[in-house]
Amino acid sequence: MKSENIVQDRQPQPQEEEEIMQQEEEEEQRFHVLAVDDSVIDRKLLEKLLKASSYQVTCVESGEKALEYLGLLHHSSPASSSSQHHHQGSSWKDVPVVVMSSENVPSRISMCLEGGAEEFMLKPLQLSDLHKIQAHLLKSLPHS
Amino acid sequence: MDFVNLLQRKFIDYSSSLHREGIVDDQFTQLRKLEDENSPHFVMEVASLFFEDCEKLINNMAIALEQKQGVDFKQIDECIHQLKGSSSSIGAMRVKNACIAFRSFSDGQNREGCLRCLQQLSHEYSLLKNKLQTLFRVSVASRCLYVCLVIFCRGNEHAEPFPDVLVFQLEKEIVAAGGSIPRVH
Repeated sequence: MKSENIVQDRQPQPQEEEEIMQQEEEEEQRFHVLAVDDSVIDRKLLEKLLKASSYQVTCVESGEKALEYLGLLHHSSPASSSSQHHHQGSSWKDVPVVVMSSENVPSRISMCLEGGAEEFMLKPLQLSDLHKIQAHLLKSLPHS
Repeated sequence: MDFVNLLQRKFIDYSSSLHREGIVDDQFTQLRKLEDENSPHFVMEVASLFFEDCEKLINNMAIALEQKQGVDFKQIDECIHQLKGSSSSIGAMRVKNACIAFRSFSDGQNREGCLRCLQQLSHEYSLLKNKLQTLFRVSVASRCLYVCLVIFCRGNEHAEPFPDVLVFQLEKEIVAAGGSIPRVH
């Protein structure tokens, strides 16, 4: 899925969060999860849940910080063309995104899934919910 | 070891009562399952973050409701949403339910109703904080006591100085409970 979709199609909603996952081939085959949540309590819980499931975790507090982390946000001149972003964005194209929310709003959930999210998870999260992500991750592994 | 067992029993009983009274729900149990050797104080740490967050939000809502020129119900709604989310994440069931009730008055832009809800919310929060802090104290006390007994027994057995690793463990427990270690030079 194109990572640009995350920026363009989504209306910035403070109540919505997303996880972006990246495979670490150089290390011990442990997946690195970028967890995004504006609540410090939820970040701590998420970090613990992910570590307990043997993922490497980086937590950030907003969508903007997430894009910054991924190198997708350029604070340079406003005239910088979007094609520049596309170039660097393409390396994140295949990264699975999981959306979480504390609210069960079917229309919003559909919008996320149609926008390319792999999965939607309802908060509060438990260890068993993390098993759902596992399946998506294994699916996303390149077949050599 | 009987005293340690007694404390552990007390912990289990107290914990069960919290569930029975609806102070905490299954999500709290999930949090406790996440505690391990790497993070033995995880629940306490999350609870501390929650207490801080909750107090800040309650305070902000109190201030918002006092505004003579008009109450910003949108701000109140955002506070309620945040608090509902975090209380749900730690399993603070009664606080979460108080938020749900609060929301309907905030939606209706009912200032009097909101003031009553805020009072109820404060009450539920105080109750939760009190109960959880008691629970943590019992938990830490039994752990400290266990370590003390181990140190004591080992000391008696080998006539050696107390094993450093056990003293360190004891210090960690004391600090986690909010105490301090006097340093003697």
